[in-house]
Order: sequence, then C-alpha cells, then structure tokens
Amino acid sequence: MSTPATDLPALSKVMLPMGSFPALPGTTLFKEALDAMAAAKLGIVTVVDGDGKLVGVLTDGDVRRKLLKVQKPFAAFFADDVADHMTQNPVSVRHDSGLADAVALMEAKRVWDLPVVDANGTLVGLVHLHPVVKALMEGRA
Amino acid sequence: MAYTTKEITVGYGDVTPVRIGGGNPLAYIGGPCAIESRDHTLMMAERVKGICDKLGVPLIFKACYDKDCRSSVNSFHGVGIEEGLRILQEVRETFGVPVTSDFSVPEWGHATGEVVDFVQVPAYLCRQTSILRAAASAGRPVHLKKGQFMSPWNMKNSVRKLAAFGCDEVLLTDRGTFFGYSMLVNDMTCFPIMAQTTGMPVCFDASHSIQMPTSMGNISGGQREFIPALVRAACSAGIDALFCETHDDPDSALSDPNTVLDIQYLEFVLSQARDTHLFRQELLAKYGDDDHVHPRD
Repeated sequence: MSTPATDLPALSKVMLPMGSFPALPGTTLFKEALDAMAAAKLGIVTVVDGDGKLVGVLTDGDVRRKLLKVQKPFAAFFADDVADHMTQNPVSVRHDSGLADAVALMEAKRVWDLPVVDANGTLVGLVHLHPVVKALMEGRA
Repeated sequence: MAYTTKEITVGYGDVTPVRIGGGNPLAYIGGPCAIESRDHTLMMAERVKGICDKLGVPLIFKACYDKDCRSSVNSFHGVGIEEGLRILQEVRETFGVPVTSDFSVPEWGHATGEVVDFVQVPAYLCRQTSILRAAASAGRPVHLKKGQFMSPWNMKNSVRKLAAFGCDEVLLTDRGTFFGYSMLVNDMTCFPIMAQTTGMPVCFDASHSIQMPTSMGNISGGQREFIPALVRAACSAGIDALFCETHDDPDSALSDPNTVLDIQYLEFVLSQARDTHLFRQELLAKYGDDDHVHPRD
C-alpha cells in the first residue's frame, strides 16, 4: 500500500539544504571536486555560476564513464576544471514541486540525486534518495 | 577540439603594439639572450627589426639585464637592472618596438614593468608565488615560460595565480621539458593543452628548447641544427608567437653561446615560421578548426 501523495512531507523538508552538499564553481579542479564528493559521502557535486544558478552536475557515473573514455593521464585529468567534465543543463526539480513528482522524476531518469532550484534557476537544495526513502518509510509506519 | 586563444596586446606609449593570439599573425620575440652593452643591443635591435620589417612579422625585442640562472659564478651575469632598463628604454624610443626582459628578484618586478612592455617570468620560477605576484603588479602583460619540470596542464595554476594578482594577459611558452639529465624534449601536445586549459595564447621558445642543460661542465650545450624543424612543427601545432634568441656572433655571445641562433639564419627560420603559421590558418579555414576526432558521445 503506497503513501498518498497528500500525506508525503514537503520537498523542502526532505531535501538536503544548501551547505550540506557540494555546490562548486565551474573552475574547481576535477581533483578538488572528487575530494568534495568523497567528503560529503555523496555520488554527486553540483556546479553553480557566480549567482548561485545551477549550471551542471558531476556524478560518480560521469566519472566512471570518463575513466573508460578519456585516455589522458590521471595527473592531467585531475588538473581539469570540473566544468570540463560536468553534465550541463542537468535534470532538476522546482522547489515548489511535490515530493511525489520529484521521486517520479528520479525514477524516470534513473538518478539518485536531484538538484532543487527556485524559479530563477538558483540552486536551493538537493534531493538525495536515502532521506527520501527514510521519509517514505516513516510515513508508511 | 577547437580552441581560440585570447588576444593580448603588448606595447604601451609610442611603440607599435603587437597583438598575440586570437588569430593574429605570428609574432616574434627575440634578440640577444643578455644585454651585453648599449651599442651591441642597439645594433642587434636594428638588425632584428630590419629582418622583421622585411618579412612583415611583428617584433617584441628581447634582451635580459640579469642572468640569474647561469651555471657558474664566473659566467656573465648581466649589466644590472638600472643600466639594462636604460638601454631597453633607448631601444623602445629609437626603434618604436615593444621590449621585454625577465626578472628573477620579486623587488625588481615593479621597476621592470615601468620600462618594458612585456614582463617575462623565467621558466625555473614559473610557479613561485612571490615572482608571479611581482610580475602581475608590474601592470604589463606577462610572458610566462613553462618550467622544464612542469606539465602543460599544471601551468593553469600559475595562470590563475597571476589572475588572482590582477593580471589576465598572459603568453605561455614551452622551452622544452626535461628528459632525464642534460636533455630536453618538446612535446607538441603542450600547445593545444596549454591553450585549451587556460585560454591564453601560446609560444614556442626555439633556442632554449634545443639547449642541453649544463651538458658542458658549467655551461649548457645545444643542438641548434634542430631549430628549423622544431619551429615548423610548433607552428603547425598552433603557436601564436615564436621566441628565439639570436646573436651576430654566437661563439662570442656572453650568454647561451651554444644555443642562440646566428642572426644570419634568422630570416631563413622566421620566413618558414610565418609561412607555416599562415598555412595552418588556411587549413583551419578550409577544413574547420574542430580537432575532435574521438567517437561522438
């Protein structure tokens, strides 16, 4: 039996708030981005412009595909900017969307993390699958 | 992968400015390694300018007032900053060309920038923060040589240091990379790598690339017979400027006698450089400038 959408917590209650996940400028070195990803224990870093607008994401899947495709030395790879390897115009969800919509989008796109933006495209949070699952389980209990 | 380098402008006041990068014609940076005397420097400037004028190649005249990286304390160290800058000022005023010299002491950066049009950072010092800060504070475009120990992709760090200190006009030059001891090699991929990772124009230093560092006891040797081939290769690989020291009597040169190009061959080398650079531009116009040959994503 699924939890009715009306009983789900608000997206803003479940998403990771700013400051709790990496939101980096595009000129961050690729190595630094990986460090940030590891430190946050996430599989994603978000990339923002000077105004805080979401411009891309780098996921561990992106890194895996790059490692298989790019043949240059690690030392050169690490010295690239994160913007060189990020996915531009990533899938995101508006902050006023429902949690069910966000989860449906994550399922459709087969992603574990979903950036949350406001009407101006400014990054305001990140939906991460684990807290969502936890919220859904608690709602079910 | 296509790339367009940034255009930087070298030259202030009454000299003829030289535009480097951004699709401009190949620029030449050259002269004797060291300022040996006023008369010799002026004579060399006149001869080099004459060759460049004949070929239609924009010139930045180069000669250093202090050679701090000599292998021996007995080697000629230079005429010093005061006399050297006076002579370079006279070259500017006499011939109307931009001039450049390097500096190796941070306190000399500002004074150097008050005279020269282009402040050069020696390769050995290319990642020294104090030198880069001083170079940027000079208020002129910076000619930053890639250290023989540096990867081309790591030069971005030095460019960003300069940017942090307020300088956003940089020319990046390859002067060879250590290959074991007393030997340098040129990796031609360094030009697209430095251009793509920094956006700055790139340059090939022909006379130092053929150097064999300190291969002759306490002085460097060199294989200048490879200068023409390497110049053609570098121009094909996408340089925006060519650097090559030259001398009227290399055997008697007070600095780098085994590597400076005899001026009698400068026209021969520079003609081929100009034509190869131009031919590359024609190829890009004809076939496009997207060098991406990987399978498409």
